[in-house]
Order: sequence, then structure tokens, then C-alpha cells
Amino acid sequence: MNQVYIKQNVEESHQNMKKASPVLEVKDLNIYYGDHHAVKHINMPIEEKSITALIGPSGCGKSTFLRTINRMNDLIHGARSEGEILYGGINLLTSKVDVVQLRKEIGMVFQRPNPFPKSIYENLVLSLKFSGIRDKKKLKDIAEDCLRKAALWDEVKDRLDKSALSLSGGQQQRLCIARALALKPKVLLLDEPSSALDPVSSSKIEELLLKLKEEYTIVIVTHNMQQAARIADKTAFFYQGELVEYGDTSQMFSHPAEKRTEDYISGRFG
Amino acid sequence: MENKSVVVQMPSSPNNEGRSLIQNNKKWTSIFNRNSEWRGKIWIYGSAIFVILSVIAITLFLTVQGLRSFVVDHINVIDFITGTEWYPDRAENPSYGALPFIFGSLMVTILAAMLAAPFAIGSALFMTELAPKWGQKVLQPVIEILVGIPSVVYGFIGLSVIVPFMRDHVGGSGFSLLSGALVVGVMILPTITSISADAVRAVSNDLRSASYALGATKWQTIYRVVLPAAKSTLITAIVLGMARAFGEALAVQMVIGNARNLPNAISDPSATLTTIITLSMGHSTAGSVLNDVLWSLGLILLIISYGFILLIRFISRRGQVS
Repeated sequence: MNQVYIKQNVEESHQNMKKASPVLEVKDLNIYYGDHHAVKHINMPIEEKSITALIGPSGCGKSTFLRTINRMNDLIHGARSEGEILYGGINLLTSKVDVVQLRKEIGMVFQRPNPFPKSIYENLVLSLKFSGIRDKKKLKDIAEDCLRKAALWDEVKDRLDKSALSLSGGQQQRLCIARALALKPKVLLLDEPSSALDPVSSSKIEELLLKLKEEYTIVIVTHNMQQAARIADKTAFFYQGELVEYGDTSQMFSHPAEKRTEDYISGRFG
Repeated sequence: MENKSVVVQMPSSPNNEGRSLIQNNKKWTSIFNRNSEWRGKIWIYGSAIFVILSVIAITLFLTVQGLRSFVVDHINVIDFITGTEWYPDRAENPSYGALPFIFGSLMVTILAAMLAAPFAIGSALFMTELAPKWGQKVLQPVIEILVGIPSVVYGFIGLSVIVPFMRDHVGGSGFSLLSGALVVGVMILPTITSISADAVRAVSNDLRSASYALGATKWQTIYRVVLPAAKSTLITAIVLGMARAFGEALAVQMVIGNARNLPNAISDPSATLTTIITLSMGHSTAGSVLNDVLWSLGLILLIISYGFILLIRFISRRGQVS
């Protein structure tokens, strides 16, 4: 029933979206871990087919915020959230939302590459199998499509049946991105996707994200301010659980409105 | 480099005697020093050597004793392993066919593993994935208690509960392969459960997150991600349980019926290598043919046990590669 509920609303939302561009609308969001107030009164839109970067020092709540969008925080004992994250008019934080279905529409890539200890091909199609797709031909087509989108096809096309763990760290991370694309999500959440990678792999991921934003809405948490400046359209600066500043990336990096933003960007703390 | 600065001198040290502390001044007499490095080494190396030597000694002794029936008593090895008639105490034309017992042992082991493994892995998943708190508090102690119950108690319960139940519901005398497998299955349950729980706990949370983020349900995550990732250790757990089942004598002996012929069905009475050894040991004299063939049965037990250990090694090595 939940599935139907969310689907109807998502369709509606697609019609609405042509008028208003934010895919996600965060309204007065508060997140708590037990008594700890981790994220405080966040209000921000996340615009369609653009890259939104969340920056800020460690422990500022940006990852927590990200993990709340696809309800991954549900898995953490004691975490709870108040407020609204509107996705096509539905508040994602209510119990009416089918989390499983939600995560299929809002994909996620983690800090450490975490491919399954299975073959490259199995990694790509596992999520489709979760959704009950069994048609071999279809699975194969989607796998190839995702690998091409993640710019990994040429590197792995001859060894799809080899273990995903035989890939390099950068390749593994791109495989994880490809894997997240298999379900054709609307939004892609990335939690410091290149912080565990070398500069070359990291720049490959950035290139990839710039390409992907033509089709997907991307939200990326990053510690690397240059990375945010290079790829993000919008940037949000978090500090001690608060959203200090949100705006166009170029604007924020050249003329930050807040003193704290300026201090952080210029490396005075953080 | 200035040599002086390299040498560490501790002027306040009383036993310095003008020598540098960094110079090696170990003497064998330092063994009497409480903090001596040698004491520790002798103890640790000594234990390791002792264990290795005892395993070698047991193997050699059992081999020598076990081969007597073939070398001294001229029993044909092939006949011994494939023969189905076991009449070692018949005055004329005694026959020594051990196949029913080898078969019985293997069947009890395999059946017990088949009965225990699903429950064991299920409870391991319960206590790690579904209810970690409750599982730790309740299921863990229950499993420890299961380990602590002596095998004679298992046998006794089997004898007074399972055997009558089998007699009423399956038929026959109730003493059967199946009864033996049931009793042993319960006995190996804790072994498989605790190793499986460790295996499941060892699966990285990154994989679970990855699975949930792909829209997997809890069961899909367990079935498609956690269990495959823990597979090789889970198989090791089952094989270890089988090794234990294979060696169990007392409890099995009380419920299996101790028939000396090959069973036609799992509801037939049977015997295992261990039960026949414990049963016949008492009325055999050292050096007699009966005694020798019992040693040979023991040797077969040892060889198959070694087989289990090799299997575990093989599985865990393969698990590391992938």
C-alpha cells in the first residue's frame, strides 16, 4: 500500500517539477542521536539535475543530513528526525513512506568503496534481483548501460565475471556508482565518495559526476573544498549542526555572506 | 655519526659494570631470573612441542595398533573396509566387515549436520541480525548450557524421549539411525551456532549498508549479501560440527540400537565406529584378533577425522582467495 502511495505522489511530483525545480525541499529539519541534537533547523531546497555540495568540518552533521534523506539513519539505534524533507510533495520522514521503495529512487554511494564480494556483474544486477527482475537479457543490458554511464565499461567489459574485489579502489567506487544507477534513481547521494581514493581516481569520479548531473540530481558530501568548487552548482556550508550558508557555489566561494563560511573556506578552521 | 651518542649509558643502573645495556649479555643462567626472556620462551616453545609430539605419538600408536589386524592377523584390508558381516567372536569362520559401522558413522554425521545446520544458522542470524540484544542475553546462555550438558544426559534423554517417540510415530523399535542423528544433531547445534554467529558478525557493516541503500529488505540483505559473504566460515562451522558428531560415542550408543548389519532405512537400528568400539572394548583381551580389529576401527576413525580437518583447511583457504 505504501508503495502505491509513494508512486502516485511521485508521478504527481514529476508534473509539478516542471514548474518548480527543487526535487527535495528540506523544511525545519532536526536530527537527534539520543539526546544529542546533531542537525538543527535546516531549511534548503535541492535542485533537480544539479550538483549540491555539503561542506563543513567533521562532525558538523552533513553526513547525518545526507543519510536522513534516504532514511539510512533508521538503521542507527537512537537516531530520530523531526521536520520535513519533501520529495514531490511527500514528507519522506513519516512512517507512511516505504523505505525500501524510497531507497530505490534515492540511491547512495558511501565513503569507502563497498562492492559485494561477488562478480562485477552480480554487483550490478543484485539490486534488480531485489526488485524481482529476472530476465537475463534485460539484466545484462542494464548492467552494460550502468557501466557505460559510470565510465567503467571499457575497463571491465572482458572480466564481468571476475570478483569485484579484484578492481582497484577507484574502479570499485565507480562500480558502486554504477550499481546505484541500476535502479534508475532520481537522486544520487554521495557521502565523501572520493576521500578514500588517490587524486587520479578522484578526478575520474568528479568527471563522472559532472556527466551524471545531466540525468540525475546529485547531493555530495565532501571534505575537499576544491572539489566542491570544481563540480558543485550549489553549496551548503554546515557548522555544528546548523546550515550556515547555502547558495551558488561561485557566489559562496568568491563572496561568502557569512564570516564563518569565509573562515572555513579560507582554511582558518576545520 | 658520533659513536658516543649511540651508546646508551645508564649511570644509575647498579648491575651495569661498565658495560653498555644495548650489548647482548644473555647467559643461560638468566633462566633463574624471574623476568628472564628464556623462561617465557621455554614455556611457550615447550607447550607447542609437547602438543605436536602428543599428536604424532597418538597417530603413530594408533597406526601401529590398527595395522596389526592386517599385518599380524592377515585380514584383508579390502574385505575389512567393504565387508558387511561383522562376526569377530564366531568360533569358526569369523568375519570382520566394518562397512556397516563406517556407513553408520557417516550417516549419523551427515544426518545430524542436515538437521542441525538450518537451526544453528537460523539462531545465529537471530542473535546477530534480528535481535542482537535479546539474542546476546537469552540465546547465548542457552547455547552455552547446551555445550555444558554431558553427553550421557543427552543419551539418556534420547533414550527416554526420542526412542519411544520414534517407536510410536515412525515404527520399529525406535532405536535407529534417525534417533542417533537427532540426539547428535542437538549436541552439535551449539558448535555450529556459535561459529556461525561469529562468521555473520565478521561480515562488514559496509556491505549491509550497501545492500539497504539499494532498496533491499532485511531478509534480502541476509539472504543475498550476509550469508554469501560469510559462506566459507559457515561451511567450516558445519564441518566442525560434523567432526564432533563423528566422534560422539556414548549418546549415540544409547539410542542407535547397535545392530551389526547395514540398515535398510534411517528408521532401522544401526551402529557406528565409535559405538562398536566402546561396546566391544570391554570383552576383548589385548593382542586378540578382536582387540586388533577394534584398533583398526579406531584407525579408520582417525583417518576420517583427519579428512574433516583437511576439508576445513581447504574451505577456509578458498574463502580467503575470493
